[in-house]
Amino acid sequence: MSAASVRKLAFTLRPALEGALGIIGFVLLWWFTSSALKNPSLLPSPRLVYLALKGLFAGEIFADILASLVHLGIGYVIGVLAGLGLAILAARFRAFSEFIEPVVEVFRPISAIAWIPIAILLFGVSAGVPIFLIAYAATFPIFVSTLDGIRRVDASLINAARALGASSNLVTTHVVLPGAMPYVLTGARLSLGVAWMAMVAGELVGSDTGLGFRIMWYQEFFAMDRVMAIILVIGVLGFVADAAIRSLQRRLLHWQPTDSSS
Amino acid sequence: MKSTRSKRLVIWIVGIVILLAVWEATVRGGNQMTAWPYPSGIFAAAVALLADGTIFAALGGSLQRVVIGFAFGALVGIPIGIAMGVMEPFNRALRPVTESLRAIAPIAWIPLAILWLGVKGNAALFVVAYSAVFPFIVNAADAARSVDRNHLRAARSLGASRWLILRSVVFPSALPQLFTAARIAMAIAWSSIIAAELAVGIKIAGGGRSVAGMGQLMVETLYVKRDVNALVFGMLVIGAVSFLIDAGQRRAREKLLPWSQKS
Repeated sequence: MSAASVRKLAFTLRPALEGALGIIGFVLLWWFTSSALKNPSLLPSPRLVYLALKGLFAGEIFADILASLVHLGIGYVIGVLAGLGLAILAARFRAFSEFIEPVVEVFRPISAIAWIPIAILLFGVSAGVPIFLIAYAATFPIFVSTLDGIRRVDASLINAARALGASSNLVTTHVVLPGAMPYVLTGARLSLGVAWMAMVAGELVGSDTGLGFRIMWYQEFFAMDRVMAIILVIGVLGFVADAAIRSLQRRLLHWQPTDSSS
Repeated sequence: MKSTRSKRLVIWIVGIVILLAVWEATVRGGNQMTAWPYPSGIFAAAVALLADGTIFAALGGSLQRVVIGFAFGALVGIPIGIAMGVMEPFNRALRPVTESLRAIAPIAWIPLAILWLGVKGNAALFVVAYSAVFPFIVNAADAARSVDRNHLRAARSLGASRWLILRSVVFPSALPQLFTAARIAMAIAWSSIIAAELAVGIKIAGGGRSVAGMGQLMVETLYVKRDVNALVFGMLVIGAVSFLIDAGQRRAREKLLPWSQKS
């Protein structure tokens, strides 16, 4: 290989190498700290966590992942449908928006977390708690951004459709909703983020199934390697869920330049 | 215009009063006064908690931890974020690490945090700091990267040192976005502290321990006193605090950065 091609290879590989460097450095730091502490129930080494992951994925963890995804699925669908429905009604009927917007402004600052004790009281320590929290948390972001999106739809497009004789239902389904789509999807993504946090918190303190519950379960046995393994699983799943909704966003909105912020 | 506004206000007040009356009547009529909260009970619980100062002690404890965690998040997050924004290799090396850590729900760390720092409140503090640091890193990096190139070139051609450029070009132009970061971080921090204190409180429920924060107070109300009305009052206080924090930060931004448009 000539010197030039080596340099070219190094140039193309450099970003990937730098990316790997950060992760490697992080794992090394973790490994050093854990071997200096010499106490695996205080900070398990990367190797122990890897073994714990392997053990968990031999079977045990799938039931917990499934339970968490079921909580998330049910709660998220309820929350998103409620948020979307309320936003569409609020955009369509002025009286309804005058009623619902102050109500939302009152409840929005009360985070899902603050509902945990009440939810435990209502549902007992069960799947009801995370589902309720997820649904509650997911409702607000999608409501706010859908309503915002609908109100930002170009009025001349609506007028044009009306002038051509479209009924107001047709205007809603063919002009307003497609126009608001970018905002709806942004709202759906924000909703998923808060729903994810609500899921972990709800399961951690108020559920008898799911990944959050399993963290507390293994903590009882001081199995910190397993606790960390589940934390990793939660992180990876959260990342995957966000990536999935981002790619959905790109696919549905291929006509729009992607927004890299937030 | 003015008359319709005051008319609407009257309608609202009447509506709320009717709603509260119906609520009260339903709970009393159904004889469900221990299972469901009702307005006069919430009011009584509020008076009791305000009178003996419990609620202030709990709020003080929580807010203190939020402020410390938030300050920690800003002090660590802003420099890291700005460094990531101005040095591309550093950004590439660190981004995978921050992105993976960010994906982990802060509250999931609570068992380890309890182990490392104890239940006394430092575990909750860890969770708050953890949750507050990422909004600062992400926004500071983004802000530092989007500094107007011409400003940088102008400063450089006038012979400004790197440090001077950081201090008087990058930082000021990143400031509006740092305020946004602060608002996000504060909102997350406040809900994380409640979650963390709830989780810590449930771990050590009972035992007549002195109340350390809003989360612990609510756990105690739930499991020891079983008082639904006090729980609802606690929730309302939590909501009111996050509303006030957010309003305060908006005001601060308008006062301190009048030139920046709101986002």
